[in-house]
Amino acid sequence: MTRALMLSTAAIALLTGAADARTIHILMESVPDTRFVQEVVPEFTAQTGIEVDIEVVNYAEMHTKLVPQLVAPAGSYDVIVVDFYWVGEFTKAGWLQPLDERIAASGFDTSVYFPAMMDLVGRVDGVVYMLPFYNYAMALTYRKDLLEDPAEQAAFAAKYGTPLRVPQGWDEYLKQVEFFTRKPDLHGVVNQGLRPDPIAMEWSNYLFARGGEYYDPATWEPKLTSPEAVAALEDYKRNVQEFGPLGAASFGFDEAFNVAAQGKAYSYITYNFFRTAYDDPSQSAVVGKMELAPVPVAGLNGGWGWAIPRSSPDPDAAWQFIAWIESPEIAKRRAALGGSPTRADVFADPDLNAKYPYYPALQALLEGSKNFPVFTYTPQFVEVLGRELSLAVTGEKEPAAALAAANEEFRALLRQDGKLP
Amino acid sequence: MAAGLARRDRRFGLLMAGPGLAAMLLVVLFPLVFTAWTSLYEFTLLRPVHDLFVGLGNFAAALDDGGFRHALRVTLAFVVAVVLLEFLLGLVVALALDSVERGRAVYYAILLCPLLMNPVVVGLIWRMFLHPTQGIVNYVIGLAGIAPVNWLGDPAVAFWTLVAVDIWHQVSFMVVLLLAGLAALPPEPYEAARMEGAGPIRAFFWITLPLLRPVITVTLLIRLIFAVRTYDLVYIMTRGGPGNATDLVSYFIYRQAFVTLNLGRAAAMSLVLLAIVLLLTAWLHRYMRSLRA
Amino acid sequence: MPDIRLEQVSKVYPGGVTAVDAVSLDIRDGELMVLLGPSGCGKSTTLRMIAGLEPITTGRLWIGERLMNEVDPKDRDLAFVFQSYALFPHMTVAGNLAFGMRIRGVPRAEAGRRLQEVAATLGLTELLERKPGQLSGGQRQRVALGRALLRDPVAFLLDEPLSNLDAKLRAGMRTELIKLHRRVGRTMIHVTHDQVEAMTMAERICIMRDGRIVQVGAPMEVYRNPADTFVAGFLASPPMNLLDARIEPEGAGALVIAHGLRVPLPGALPPGPVTLGLRPEEVTLAPDGAARIALDTVTQAVEALGPEVILVGALGDPRGPEVSWRMPRDFTAAIGQPVRLWLDPTTVRLFEAKSGVAIALSWPKP
Repeated sequence: MTRALMLSTAAIALLTGAADARTIHILMESVPDTRFVQEVVPEFTAQTGIEVDIEVVNYAEMHTKLVPQLVAPAGSYDVIVVDFYWVGEFTKAGWLQPLDERIAASGFDTSVYFPAMMDLVGRVDGVVYMLPFYNYAMALTYRKDLLEDPAEQAAFAAKYGTPLRVPQGWDEYLKQVEFFTRKPDLHGVVNQGLRPDPIAMEWSNYLFARGGEYYDPATWEPKLTSPEAVAALEDYKRNVQEFGPLGAASFGFDEAFNVAAQGKAYSYITYNFFRTAYDDPSQSAVVGKMELAPVPVAGLNGGWGWAIPRSSPDPDAAWQFIAWIESPEIAKRRAALGGSPTRADVFADPDLNAKYPYYPALQALLEGSKNFPVFTYTPQFVEVLGRELSLAVTGEKEPAAALAAANEEFRALLRQDGKLP
Repeated sequence: MAAGLARRDRRFGLLMAGPGLAAMLLVVLFPLVFTAWTSLYEFTLLRPVHDLFVGLGNFAAALDDGGFRHALRVTLAFVVAVVLLEFLLGLVVALALDSVERGRAVYYAILLCPLLMNPVVVGLIWRMFLHPTQGIVNYVIGLAGIAPVNWLGDPAVAFWTLVAVDIWHQVSFMVVLLLAGLAALPPEPYEAARMEGAGPIRAFFWITLPLLRPVITVTLLIRLIFAVRTYDLVYIMTRGGPGNATDLVSYFIYRQAFVTLNLGRAAAMSLVLLAIVLLLTAWLHRYMRSLRA
Repeated sequence: MPDIRLEQVSKVYPGGVTAVDAVSLDIRDGELMVLLGPSGCGKSTTLRMIAGLEPITTGRLWIGERLMNEVDPKDRDLAFVFQSYALFPHMTVAGNLAFGMRIRGVPRAEAGRRLQEVAATLGLTELLERKPGQLSGGQRQRVALGRALLRDPVAFLLDEPLSNLDAKLRAGMRTELIKLHRRVGRTMIHVTHDQVEAMTMAERICIMRDGRIVQVGAPMEVYRNPADTFVAGFLASPPMNLLDARIEPEGAGALVIAHGLRVPLPGALPPGPVTLGLRPEEVTLAPDGAARIALDTVTQAVEALGPEVILVGALGDPRGPEVSWRMPRDFTAAIGQPVRLWLDPTTVRLFEAKSGVAIALSWPKP
C-alpha cells in the first residue's frame, strides 16, 4: 500500500517534471509557411524535449502584439518573426539580439542565403540580427491557359502587332491587361488596393517596373515625384478602375486572391507563396491554369526573418530552435510542403525542382527583386504611402499631387531618422 | 453620545469603502494621469522615457495635423449618423416589439446575436458578405436586377457601408435599452389619453417620447461615447480607406501610438478627443434637459 | 342625456377566465350608480368595458339608442377617472387639464377660460404650474377629476378613485363627489370595494360577485332586504348576524329556531334548515310593543366606539354561535355576563340554507 503510494507520487513528480520542461513561445503570422513550420515542430520537440508554442495571429495584429512585449524587460516571446519593414525600427530600438556569436559558436552556414534576402531580413549595418525565414517577393501570376490559347494569341497579335507571351516588358503586360478585360466574367488584373500595406506593397512593383525608385541609393533623396513614379501610379489607378473588378480599391490580398482563384482575373501581382495555393482545389477554381513569372523589369522583394528579441526569456532554446528550423534538412522539408525558400541550396535541390517546375522563375524573381526602403520609420512610411496611393486610386487626389505629398512626408521621416540632413 | 455614534459610523463606513475607492482611483485615475503626463513629453516606444519635456508641443502638433483634423471630422459625421440612425431604427423596432405578446424571447435572442459578436468577427463577416464579386450582398441585389455596388472600394459608399454595418451590429443595444424603458412606462396615462381621444401617433409624441426621455438620454449618451471609440470595424473593413474616407479618429490615434510609436502625440490626441467627448456629453445632457422645460 | 344599458355583457379572457358573466344593467340618465363588490368581482372590468378600454366578449352595450360595442373610447363621450389618477407626469397641472381640449381642438381662448373655471371649482388655481410629482394624493385626485370635468361627457366613470387616499381625505372627497354630481347632474358610475362609500354616495348600488350581479337597488333597500347571505354579510360593519337555524311548523304559522332563540314567522313555511339573519342594530335592551322576543347573549367583548358600543357575545349560552349587537353608547357589561335583549320578529331575515338566497316573509300589515 505504502509502496503503491510512493510509486504513484514518483510518477506524478515525473509527469509534472515533464510538464515543467522548457517551452518556447513564438508569435507568427497566419500564412502558409507558418503552417508548414507547425507541421515539422513536433520533431524538434522529440529531439530536444523543448516544447514549441506557436501563437498564430493575423498580420494586422502582429505589430501591436509585438511592440509591448519587445519594450518590456522580460517579454513573453522567445522567438519572433520579423517582417522586413519592421527591421529598421526593431534594430534601431535595440529590440533584437545580435546573432553573430551564436552563429559562429554553432558553425551555422549563412552563406547559403541569397544576398538579397540576407540584406533584407538578415544583416543590418554588418550585424546579423535575423536568419531569413521565407521570402514573399512579389511575382506576376497569370492565366497560363489563356496566354497559351492559340485563338487568343492570334487575336492579340492582330490587335497589338506583338506576340502574346509571358510579358518581357511592362508595356507588354499592360497591353495584356487591357486585352483580357472582358467584364464581367474576366478582368485583366485584380489589385489589392487596401490601405496601408497591401496597396503600398503592390504599387512598389509598378514603380520598379516603370523604372522608378523610392530614393537615390547614394543620398537617400526621395524620388517619388519622378515621372516614372507618376506614370506608375497612373498605371495602377487605370488597372484598378478600368481593368479590375469592382471593389479592388478595398481588397486585401486574400480578397484579391479569391478573385484570381475563381478565374475572374487574368493576372494578379502578388506574393509568390500564393503559387501553391492556386493548385489547391479546396481554394481554387483554376488548378493547373495559373503560373508565376517575375514582374517585368523588377518586382518587390519581401521576406521574414527569425529573430531572438532582447526580452526573450530563453534565448538559448530560441537559438536552438532557429538553428534547427533553418538547418538544410528542415528547410528542404518545409519547401517540399510548399514553403517559400530563401536559400540557394534549396533552390538547387533536384527533388524540389522536379516537384516545382517554377523554381527557376522563382529564383530569378528573388535575384531580380528590389527592396522597399528599410529604415527606422518604414511602418510610418508604408502608412503614408498607402494613404496617398489610396487617395489617388479613388480619384480624390491627382496622382502627381498624392506622390508629392508622400514624397514630402517620406523626406520628413528620413530626416527624423538621420538619413537626410 | 449620538454624535459619537454617528462619527464612529462614518469612520466605519469610510473604512469599508476605502479599499474600493482607492482601487477605483487607481484604475480610473492612473491611466488618465499617465496619459496627461505623457502628452507633455516627446515619448516614443523607440525611446520610452519621460526626459524630453515639450510642454503643449504635442497638442499643437496634433491640432496642426491635417490628418487628425480630417479624422475628427469623419468621426463626427460617423457618430452623428450612427447614433441618429440607430436611435430611430431602434425606437421603431422597440415600439414594434413592445406590442408583441407572444414569442418575445425569440425576437430578443435573434436581436441580441449581433450584439454579442466580437466587432472583429462582425467586420470579417461583412467584408466577406460585401465582396463586390464573390459576396452574397451583391449577388442578392443582382437577383433583383440591381447593378453590383462597390461597397468598400468607393469613398462615397464606403462611409455609409461602415455606418450600415455598425447599425447592424449595434442597433440591438438601442432596442434592448429602449424596450426596457418602454416596458417600465405605466399603462394608465395611455388609457387616459385614449379616453381623451388621442390616437397612437399623438400618444407617442405627447406621452411615450416625453416619458421615455431619461432612458433616451442615457441610451444616446452611451451609444455616442461608444461610437466615438469605434475602431475594430474600420481596422478590419477599410483601414480608414479608400483614400481616407473612413479614417475614424480612434483608428488614427491607434496608428499614432502603434505604427508611428509616438505615444506622446497619441496621448495628446486622446486627450483632445476626451475633451470633445466630454463637451458633446455635457451638451447632449443639457439639451435633453432643456427639452423637458 | 342618454341612458347606459348593458345587455348580457360578458368578458372572457384568452385562456378561458370569465371576468364578467352576462351582466345586464340599466343606468339611468343622471344617476349615481355604484358598482360594489370585493376585488376580482368584475366591477372594474365592467366599467372598463363601458369605457371601451376592454373589448366586450359577448353581449351588448347601449348608450341611448346607439350600440357601443365597437365604438372607439373617444367616441363614446365618457370621462374616466383612474384609481392611480393616470396623470401625465411630464406635464404641469394645466397641461394635464388641457390635454383633452388640445386634442379635441378647443379654441385657445375658450380652453383657457374653461380650465380656469374648473381649476377654481376644484381649488387647483394655485397649483396649475406644478407637476403631478409635486402634488399630494388629494390634489392629484382633483386634477384627475378636473380632467374629467373639462370633457363635459355623457357620464363619468370612476374606477376606485378614492382608494389611494387616506381615510380622512377619503371622507372629504366622498362628500365633494356627491356635491359635484349634484351640480353637474350627469350620470356617474362609481366603482368601489368600500361599502361605506357605496352606501353614502350611491343612488343605486349594484353589488357584484364572481362576475355576476347579485343585487341592484337603492342603498337602504339593499341594506334592509339583502338578496342573499353574501350581500347580507358584505354591507355594513359589523355585518348582519347569520345563524344556522331551522323552521318548524307551529299552529297555522311557523317558528324559526336557532340555538334556543325561537322567533314566530307568518304563514306556512316548509320545515327544514335555513339561515337566520339579524341586523346588529335591531335589538333593544327593554321590551316594547314590537320588540317582544327575548334573546340572551353571553358577553364576550364590549367594544366602545364612541357613538355606540358593539356587544360581542355568544347566543343563548357560552357555547352558542357568535353574535354582534349595536348598543347605546352608555352600555356596559362584564365579560361572561348574560345580557337579555329584545327583538322585533319582523326584522328577521331568512335565507335558504344551501343557496343563501333570501326567503320572502309576508307579515300582515299592522
